[in-house]
Amino acid sequence: MVTIEINGKPVQARPGAMLIEAADEAGITIPRFCYHKKLSVAASCRMCLVEVEKVAKPLPACATPVTEGMKVWTRSPKAISAQRNVMEFLLINHPLDCPICDQGGECDLQEMAMGYGKDVSHFSEGKRVVVSPDIGPLVATDMTRCIHCTRCVRFSDEIAGVTELGAPGRGEHMHIGTYVEKSLSSEVIGNVIDLCPVGALTSKPYRYSARPWELTSHSSVSPHDCVGANLTVDVRGRQVMRVRPRENEEVNEVWLADRDRYSYLALSHAERITAPQVKRDGAWQTVDWNTALTAAAHGLRGVVEKHGAQQIGALAGYGATTEEFYLLQKFMRGLGSDNIDHRLHQIDFSTQGAMPAFPWLGQALADLDNLDAALLVGSNVRKEQPLVALRLRKAARGGARLMAVNPIDYELNFPLTARRIVAPTAMVSELIAIAQALLESGGEAPAGFAALAAGVAVLDEHRAIARHLKDAPQSTVLVGNGVAQHAQQGALQMLAALVARLSGSRFGFLSEGGNSAGAWLAGAVPHRRAGGAAGAAGLDARGMLTAKLNGYVVLHAEPELDCIDGAAARAALQQAECVVALTPYVTDTMRDYADVLLPLALFAETSGTLVNAEGRWQSFTGCTTAPGETRPGWKVLRVLGNLCNLDGFDYEASDEVRRELEAACSAVLPSSKLEWQAPVPAAAGSGLCRIADYPIYAVDGMVRRSAALQQTPDATSGVARLNAATAAQYGVAGAAKVQVVQGGGGCVLPLALDERVPDGCVYVPAGLAATAALGAVDAVVELKAAE
Amino acid sequence: MIEMLQTLIMWDAWPAGLQTLVVIMLKIVAILAPLMVAVAYYTYFERKVIGYMHVRIGPNRVGPRGWLQPIADAVKLMFKEIVIPSGADKKVFLIAPVLAMAPALAMWAVIPFNDTLVLADINASLLYVLAIGSMGVYGIILAGWASNSKYAFLGAMRSAAQMVSYEIAMGFALVVVLMAAGSLNLGDIVRAQQGDYGLFNWYWLPLLPMMVVYFISGVAETNRAPFDLAEGESEIVAGFHVDYSGTTFAVFFLAEYANMIIVGMLSALLFMGGWLSPFQGWTDSWLGQPSLFWLLAKASIFLFLFLWFRATFPRYRYDQLMRLGWKVFIPLTIVWLVLVGVAVMAGLEPWFGKA
Amino acid sequence: MKTVMRFFKSLFLLELLQGMRVTGRYMFERKITVQYPEERAPLSPRFRGLHAQRRFPNGEERCIACKLCEVVCPALAITIESAQREDGSRRTTRYDIDLTKCIFCGFCEEACPVDAIVETNIYEYHGEQRGDLLMTKDKLLAVGDKYEQQIAADRAADAPYR
Repeated sequence: MVTIEINGKPVQARPGAMLIEAADEAGITIPRFCYHKKLSVAASCRMCLVEVEKVAKPLPACATPVTEGMKVWTRSPKAISAQRNVMEFLLINHPLDCPICDQGGECDLQEMAMGYGKDVSHFSEGKRVVVSPDIGPLVATDMTRCIHCTRCVRFSDEIAGVTELGAPGRGEHMHIGTYVEKSLSSEVIGNVIDLCPVGALTSKPYRYSARPWELTSHSSVSPHDCVGANLTVDVRGRQVMRVRPRENEEVNEVWLADRDRYSYLALSHAERITAPQVKRDGAWQTVDWNTALTAAAHGLRGVVEKHGAQQIGALAGYGATTEEFYLLQKFMRGLGSDNIDHRLHQIDFSTQGAMPAFPWLGQALADLDNLDAALLVGSNVRKEQPLVALRLRKAARGGARLMAVNPIDYELNFPLTARRIVAPTAMVSELIAIAQALLESGGEAPAGFAALAAGVAVLDEHRAIARHLKDAPQSTVLVGNGVAQHAQQGALQMLAALVARLSGSRFGFLSEGGNSAGAWLAGAVPHRRAGGAAGAAGLDARGMLTAKLNGYVVLHAEPELDCIDGAAARAALQQAECVVALTPYVTDTMRDYADVLLPLALFAETSGTLVNAEGRWQSFTGCTTAPGETRPGWKVLRVLGNLCNLDGFDYEASDEVRRELEAACSAVLPSSKLEWQAPVPAAAGSGLCRIADYPIYAVDGMVRRSAALQQTPDATSGVARLNAATAAQYGVAGAAKVQVVQGGGGCVLPLALDERVPDGCVYVPAGLAATAALGAVDAVVELKAAE
Repeated sequence: MIEMLQTLIMWDAWPAGLQTLVVIMLKIVAILAPLMVAVAYYTYFERKVIGYMHVRIGPNRVGPRGWLQPIADAVKLMFKEIVIPSGADKKVFLIAPVLAMAPALAMWAVIPFNDTLVLADINASLLYVLAIGSMGVYGIILAGWASNSKYAFLGAMRSAAQMVSYEIAMGFALVVVLMAAGSLNLGDIVRAQQGDYGLFNWYWLPLLPMMVVYFISGVAETNRAPFDLAEGESEIVAGFHVDYSGTTFAVFFLAEYANMIIVGMLSALLFMGGWLSPFQGWTDSWLGQPSLFWLLAKASIFLFLFLWFRATFPRYRYDQLMRLGWKVFIPLTIVWLVLVGVAVMAGLEPWFGKA
Repeated sequence: MKTVMRFFKSLFLLELLQGMRVTGRYMFERKITVQYPEERAPLSPRFRGLHAQRRFPNGEERCIACKLCEVVCPALAITIESAQREDGSRRTTRYDIDLTKCIFCGFCEEACPVDAIVETNIYEYHGEQRGDLLMTKDKLLAVGDKYEQQIAADRAADAPYR
């Protein structure tokens, strides 16, 4: 450690640290605009000038490394004079539009001008005006206000990995903008709003709607991916006005994905249901809670009495809180049914018995920063878990070798050392080849592996991947959502875990949705009880749909979209005698199949707990009250339990539910160990294979209803993508639209030629209204040119 | 003319009892009608005087110079809705104003207006005044209780405590007068003050402290500023009558002002020689003769003092109020009682010699 | 001695008489009452009466929904909701002043960066039913339009002292 002296106070600093870091740690404020602890040093604003002993001129604290015995003054006359003059320069071209600026009231420039500026300016000439580019539906620009700190440019370059923002022009003509006029394609672009120290980059949906002093801030957690990003939710009156990141180095650092930041717009969507409704003689009636809950309890008990408890099942969405999962499974099991599942995207459940207590990341999120090698299996991590991708990018910038086995050559925001882009059906053999390559250099093959490996060719690429994994001191194998939705999910998981074991890497799941881990722990899976205890297995998500039960409970899900086999889900629900939907939104489709609609509070409106991929329990309280008669899910389930005369539904607060579950989970240690089961090789499919995933802005009901997110380039209404060769093979080359038929369902989609898609495959995303009619994703696809 | 009227209504044919009744009724009307007018114009006068002391003008809009203001007020109050609070005891709530009003009017029965003009010339008239006067507090207590409001109740409790405290000092002051005059009859008391020295014969001179005590106690008895803790609008809104409106409020108002006029009249009668002229013996004109004019003029001076006090003094604190009553007035009156007793025994001229 | 003096002072009610002398003297002073409907007290250009919203000479409303008046209002009488208008400018969608809450301190006028909210010298107004004294944006703009000349003259008269 180096000892320096700041304002006469001795301060310890890390060698090589910049002065401003040492001062920040010692609690000494130095004004700054361009310096940000997560970004590289630019030293372009000159606001942090300080006086250093034996140096004639003031030095920028952000770009001056500490040296032993250095003496620094941050508030000496020289430093103050330098800061004041820099402030005067910064304000030369800054417009005086604070009263209409959204940053007004929380603006670094305003605050610094008050703290370090002067009252008058020597500059009386006209100010310059800069044309503001339109950079998409999320970020509003007012580039006249820009002070050229380049934080946004450095963020997009260094952190987000999209080199789209820059500072063309020099001198008076310098301005920040996109090199070409277009929307920024980054899924984390919202962070530039937080970074911008002035009002040049502000939130577009929030524009002009509130003032920071009107807002009360509440802490919350994002329910959209397994990172569990920490949020600050700003509320005005009862309305959520915006969402900002809450700093947590171990989870989301200071960043937030746009999905977490803008999903709040769906809180006030027109499809919100605000009062319980009951279908009577085919017509919907708005009723009070008592009537609705009695109707729900009566309906479900009626099914149980008439057809037996095995005839009811529960489908829960990925984003429900752990408390809701726990109470739902308690309710279902209280009624005598084990048919409960949250894995709506999954179609292969063959290895579910081998799963650990919950799908663990295999390491802490922060450990991803220090990886030396990683193999991604079936993961479009950039769009699925954007904040994990930022950490992987950080690792890559530190020299990590990242590799992928994917069905599509996804545009990731970090370079891949090696990649295998193969049809989904071929992914199993890819992993077998990598495992085989690892076995070449020693290690013991597990039982049944030899039979699998027969006939699989090991290529140099496989050996390279194996070598990189094995050689790296810190390496990991991560299975992504592409595996979870894969028809041979079990085989892929087993093999990926095998690769990890053979290469000495950590094995981890990038689980789906916001609370998969919580759902597993709470027992919202058919074969496990709360705390991961094994029990009699009920029907899994797919089984419940194919079995066509007589009663369903749907929690926080729109099965026609959220179930990967939407058509089957819809058919199953439609034929059921009684469907109780606990849902925040209601659609016509839902009105069609449901019998009782119970309005549910969304994440900012209820208290609860989300468990992220690293097993971190993050509880939050409601930030605002839910609209109308809407109630938090745990309360609804509690009363439903009472009305069905079940024991143990006497909770007064969601904390009590959490405590009960925590007690059940006390023995659970995070583990990603999969008991080896030799996978059954699938028959090689013939014909066109569909690659289906959930696009970033279609993962759940909230995201699908966030107007701003739906206008971004990442939002899609459904396009069939396939490469030119395949298009020619199936005779649709040149067609603008194609008819896609799968498993009895069909739809017409625009066709796009995309060389990222491997031969023999068509990429048709799930979770969209346009593709909801398609049948099971593992069925063969037929294509024909439409029109 | 009266004879003509008597023949017209065949007066002599009426039974004797009815005749007496009618005569008494006529006398009551003859006293109360001017009293009501006096009350009405006393309120007008109050607003004017206080206004003037505030360097304002006071009411000047209704009628010429605001003369019709009290009429307008009365009409307004009569037509206002009487709101009976939902938690109130309805019967008691409505009886209370009557109970406050009745004693204030009944006292007038024994007030002599001159040597002969008195409705009921009874021997114990001073005792009657004391007895009836202390009845007024029942109206206030019942009003406070019946309103079922904590402010009204607080006001009533304060009023009761205040009445009890000052009744004693007031009683002692009157006992001193009674000792000096040797009679309980108000007419006799006035006549006892008659003498050769004109206004120096009156009791104000030997009984000056008693006059002060009596008058101040009178202010306290009528709940007037600076002793208006029972109303205390800045602390308990309006005290016992906070829930009264319209006519019921007007009745309380009327009782308070009738009481004030009584106190003024009694002060004049007991200490200032009643209808006797201050210029007796100085001049032969009507100014030198005893007359109703003098009584009213003297009473008016005391009534003016009421207003002057109100414009000048801030409200007493409750403990100060109690201290004044118990620790100052009562000892003072007892001391003076002894002194006057000695003076009466000694037959001190010119006041106590005759008895 | 002092105690004795105080005793006599209070015994003879000297202080009370002094007080009565003051009020007695004022009774005969010249009265300062202004006979209101016929006579009127002079108004300062800074008089803080009924609120108004002003417009620019081209007819555009001045208010830019900065909400400074809302936050400075000590009585919380102002309620503003803002949004982006079609032309991209920041405007209020709701601007209410509850005159029953307002204490006429004039802070809103002081805070306004564009002189949009002003207090006129109108003090003769009344409401006949509930809600009449809730000044909405339309009402405020109507007041501003009607009295713009007077408002502008008042601001001009006060300008040298600001």
